[in-house]
Amino acid sequence: MLLTEQEAKALTDKLLSMVKADDATVGVGSDKLSHLRFAGNNVLTSGTRTSQSANVTVWVEGRRGSATTNDLDEASLAAVVEQAQAIARTAPVDREYMPTLGRQIYKPSKGYVEATANLSLTDRAKHVGEILGEFEKNKVIGAGFHSARAQSGATATKNGNFDFERTTNVSLSTTARMPDGSSSGYFLRSHYDIARLDTRRIAAEAIRKAVSGRGARAIDPGVYTVILEPQAVADLIGGGLGFAFNARTAEEGRSAFSAGGKTKIGQQIFDEKVNVYSDPWNADVPGSQSSQGGIPAEKIVLVKNGILQTLVYNRYWAKQKGVDPTAGPVNTIMESGVSASTIDEMIKSTEKGILVSRFWYIRGTNPRNMSQTGLTRDGVWRIENGKIAYPLKNFRFNQSTIDLLAPGNVLMMGKPERVGSSEGGGGGASLLPALKVKEFNFTSQSEAV
Amino acid sequence: MSFSRRDFIKSAGLALGALTVPSWMYSAEAYPGYFPEVNKDTLAEAALSLAKRLGASYADIRINRYRLEAVNTREKQVLNVSAGQNFGFGVRVLVNGTWGFAGSPLVTAEEAQRVTREAVDIAKANSAIQRKKIELVPTPKIVSTWKSSFDKDPFDVPADEKVKMLLAINEAALGVKGVSFVNSGMAWVNEQKYLATSDGSRIEQYLIRGNPSFSVTAVDRATGDFQAVNAPREGQAIGYEYMSKHDWVADAQKAGEHAVMKLKAKPITPGKYDLVLHPSHLFLTIHESIGHPTELDRALLWEANYAGTSFLTPEKTGKLQFGSKIMNIVADRTQERGLATVGYDDEAVPGQKWNLIKDGVFVDWQTTRDLAKLVGRDKSYGCLHADSWGSVPFPRMPNVSLVPAGEDVTQDQLISGVENGILIYGRGSYSIDQQRYNFQFGGQTFWEIKNGKVQGMLRDVAYQARTTDFWGSMDAIGGKSTYEIPGSFNDGKGEPGQSNAVSHGCPVARFRNINVLNTAGTPTAGMMEDDN
Repeated sequence: MLLTEQEAKALTDKLLSMVKADDATVGVGSDKLSHLRFAGNNVLTSGTRTSQSANVTVWVEGRRGSATTNDLDEASLAAVVEQAQAIARTAPVDREYMPTLGRQIYKPSKGYVEATANLSLTDRAKHVGEILGEFEKNKVIGAGFHSARAQSGATATKNGNFDFERTTNVSLSTTARMPDGSSSGYFLRSHYDIARLDTRRIAAEAIRKAVSGRGARAIDPGVYTVILEPQAVADLIGGGLGFAFNARTAEEGRSAFSAGGKTKIGQQIFDEKVNVYSDPWNADVPGSQSSQGGIPAEKIVLVKNGILQTLVYNRYWAKQKGVDPTAGPVNTIMESGVSASTIDEMIKSTEKGILVSRFWYIRGTNPRNMSQTGLTRDGVWRIENGKIAYPLKNFRFNQSTIDLLAPGNVLMMGKPERVGSSEGGGGGASLLPALKVKEFNFTSQSEAV
Repeated sequence: MSFSRRDFIKSAGLALGALTVPSWMYSAEAYPGYFPEVNKDTLAEAALSLAKRLGASYADIRINRYRLEAVNTREKQVLNVSAGQNFGFGVRVLVNGTWGFAGSPLVTAEEAQRVTREAVDIAKANSAIQRKKIELVPTPKIVSTWKSSFDKDPFDVPADEKVKMLLAINEAALGVKGVSFVNSGMAWVNEQKYLATSDGSRIEQYLIRGNPSFSVTAVDRATGDFQAVNAPREGQAIGYEYMSKHDWVADAQKAGEHAVMKLKAKPITPGKYDLVLHPSHLFLTIHESIGHPTELDRALLWEANYAGTSFLTPEKTGKLQFGSKIMNIVADRTQERGLATVGYDDEAVPGQKWNLIKDGVFVDWQTTRDLAKLVGRDKSYGCLHADSWGSVPFPRMPNVSLVPAGEDVTQDQLISGVENGILIYGRGSYSIDQQRYNFQFGGQTFWEIKNGKVQGMLRDVAYQARTTDFWGSMDAIGGKSTYEIPGSFNDGKGEPGQSNAVSHGCPVARFRNINVLNTAGTPTAGMMEDDN
């Protein structure tokens, strides 16, 4: 059911042939989703959905209009083109119009695996059945979600560009709770290749966290040295970090990366160990071959040794400022500029601290310093004298990302892992390390499990 | 079932007392060329009878069309005007006590049969690992139509009129000295929903929702500070008359003045304060701390892997003192302009109104047909919903609202009883734990109350509380004159994630001695622990 490159090309050619407007960008997409949700050691819901779409944006004398449909027959395509043109004819002039791109050369990234796109229902039932069996064997109440998705689509412009891509993603998350509700554990991983999704590890980790989280104690909220597992880092700063370096908002003075009427480009914004970049061809988290506006994506370094290297210009803002538009970002990769540490090494080096598995319900409170609030969830442990001493009850935190990664606050960094935000259900995975930070602000306790 | 215009007028006249001819009967095919009409009854019959033959004890099919229109602007320019349509169907089957579902955008009899087989295959594959069979409480067969309440169909309003309105909003905001940026937009949604069940129900519904919004920003470049204030109103189930019912342009000017004022406002000193919460703010606190914990699927651990569970459990029903005795909370899928108001839910259960909290005591749950069975009920409250033809319907929140005081109490009367407090307007940052015990909420504008009078503006305010302590501290609520019905246009839940629109009617209300923090820096609760 996924559109092939030839089918997508035929559809975008057809759409463009129908366009009478001065300029246009058209797109077609197809999507196949298959999922199984389980809870209370039982199957809850399961289903598949195929979908498709066509979108058209046109400019008539600099006026812009857009329309979408999910019916790809000829009459519907003609209707969607006409509707976009009708909107454009009555719209005011688009002051930020940039002529669409001519033909671009893309270097494909590899994020599609046929076996993920066509997973077997019986294989999935077998894997989930094994997980339910592990829950029962370990006397926990388990829940989880297995989801496989394949997408293909193309964008084409009236000026001659054509960009086809297809991707797959399979994710599994599991939660194990003790029957008395005293403890809960969670683990999530995803991959574009179903063969590389370790379903046993995902279930085992959730069970281990739940079992070892029994007897949690409450300690006062306050400022603590904290070790964040990669999942906690993904939840806290995750994929959003790579996309936060917006040049326009910084130059307009409404960003954490502006101060005193200037941007912070070239300044030491993070600890010198911290490197942040985007790389479409990374083998673990391949990104799109095309970045904003269809520009061929390239590897871009955003932060090098803690120094802000790049702010991201879209085509319009780049033209206003007389600079080149930025060829990214398309993903977020954070890694240490010095040798990486394991979580065990981080624990051993900590006299007093807290280990955090995961955060939940994170919301911004202050864009000026990228402050957020949220809670720990599914596994918090007290560290004393280089060892895990006992499990802790959950906390609410209030923490600025700028302060979190500030010079001197990042004590150790792990080897980055492919991990997605748990609130995002594992979609949009990034490559993120465990972090040991000197100061982290817990502001109240939560009795939630 | 396909309804002719005459059939619709007849049924609407009986059911709703409506005498006017709805425009949608003519404009459902809004743009020529889109989506050839299909005979939904024939398609449904083919799918449901096949499901039965393949072993389903229950099956339903939803054939839905969605229309969306969005206009977005910033300052003096239009960012985008877009229109979209989406049509497709989803078949849900219960085989051997296991659910199966499949959906497709190709609305043909042949595809309906293929999709039905796929749904049955999924159910059969998973029934091998099903530990406990799903069962449903019965519900009466319904053959009906229903339309949400609106006067002016927004899809009949030309895009340029919408653009003109938004640019007028922007102009008013930019006319305030010190305002640097303004974004504004409006989104309109039309759902045309058809449901057929193997119990014999055949229901068509037509819903309109609107979500106008704006955000005004003032920047102080010298200090690097910037502050934004958003529109004072939220989305509603209402037509384009929403734009003339209120003075959005005057609101934008006021928001601009407040954004500029916020730059120089007095920072809050952390501590305990009495709070007077305006409906534009309180609705979201109700949503997060009452709406979600009273979802029965959460209490039964169905959401344990994602949104979380609930501090409420079935044995607490009728026993737990949730809040003060003046607190009455109703769930209501019939409330006018409520975003979650429907004629029938997605398994043919009629929209209803019932108590969740009575005189401060937690008394009931939000249920669906499968959930109701698990707690020994004989009927569902009708909370099943899917956000698309391609999504599996599952339990979603009805409108959950705080009942106003019987007598008419004004906001000023509530303020007059506060020595040291804060009046809060608008939806700000919000976060709550996975069992709904501990929350933190911000707002849009904050006003100091001293000795019963509102003083100047405050900034960087958020409050943290424990749900039952917070509602236990509510000592006064406003009357009907202070009642508003704000809502959330996109409430996420479930796996795969789905979006639901839901409203929370409420009057102004007062809460005593609440913990308030300052969000400007990194708020701390104490000194750094000694470490290596």
